[in-house]
Amino acid sequence: MSKARIEASLNEKIAELKKDKQPERDLWPGIELAISKEDFSGLQHSRVERRKKYLAVAAVVMFGFIGWFTISPQFVLLTGDDLVASLSAQHEAQKHELLVKLRSQPALTENWQDQLAELDDAANAIKLALENDPNNMALLKMLQSVHQQQISIIERVHSPKWSQI
Amino acid sequence: MNTHGNVVAAEHKFATKSELDLIKAVQGGDKQAYNTLYHQYIGQVYGLCYRLTGEKALAEDAAQEVFIQLWRKIGNFRGQSKFSTWLHTVTSNVTISYIRKQKGWVQKMFNIEDSAAMNEEADASSSSVDLESYVVRLPERARIVFVLHAIEGYRHEEIATMTNMAVGSSKSQFHRAKQLLEEWMKDE
Repeated sequence: MSKARIEASLNEKIAELKKDKQPERDLWPGIELAISKEDFSGLQHSRVERRKKYLAVAAVVMFGFIGWFTISPQFVLLTGDDLVASLSAQHEAQKHELLVKLRSQPALTENWQDQLAELDDAANAIKLALENDPNNMALLKMLQSVHQQQISIIERVHSPKWSQI
Repeated sequence: MNTHGNVVAAEHKFATKSELDLIKAVQGGDKQAYNTLYHQYIGQVYGLCYRLTGEKALAEDAAQEVFIQLWRKIGNFRGQSKFSTWLHTVTSNVTISYIRKQKGWVQKMFNIEDSAAMNEEADASSSSVDLESYVVRLPERARIVFVLHAIEGYRHEEIATMTNMAVGSSKSQFHRAKQLLEEWMKDE
């Protein structure tokens, strides 16, 4: 056969080729089994995913509560006398820390300690009033304000001159 | 004549509509509908798998893999092309990737092609040897390219993308396949 004839014969065979062909064995049972398994594992997967979501939400809520109790214990856990004692303890710790930090710096005024003492007297008077009315918010705010004034005096008298210009 | 044409068009439209309904049912997870779709297309899918793999057992496994993958992917079919065309692409891609997975590590490492089939005699049960029995004797890469280009009508650029080979390699594999087939046919 000539090359051209062979090529023509090949093209003819390609055109005649029956594209459909049936497999010798039934493939459906294997396919059905595989897709059923997939659906089951998909279902299990979604269940696991849902469980994970619930756990994540529970963890967030739990950490939220822990955070709330840790960050602001004085407002949530403490009331009355305990709250006043806690506020005073926190203030004393902050004041002490600040005085230690600024110890090496000279004070700009002579009477800053007198001012602190006066504010201490004011704080004691407020605390006395709080003994009779421990949950009085106005008195608690006054106490916080006095504490804040003491911190401000310490910082102000120890800050360098140039920063006050 | 005109009435006959209208009837044919209406029948085609009906067939397309019922097929779309079937596909929608499958997309909704209906396994009974999927079984119907399977019976409708298994011949087309298996035929292509057989020509691409060149082995009955491998073709059966590949066809199963096609229908498993199709169950996962059928949600992507939006009806913009004919379903048979879309299924054809899915079948080609899944089968080629299945062949790659089945190749032994030695073949992967040294790119050895199975030449045993080439030396086998074509099935001469019929007086005229059919093209398919020649095609399955072709070396793997030449066979895949020949089937996709000459029989299925893919362009060499498309084949290159599907098979991860250069366009030039696809063309040379096609010529190799053609040469071998013509050689075998000469002795017919």
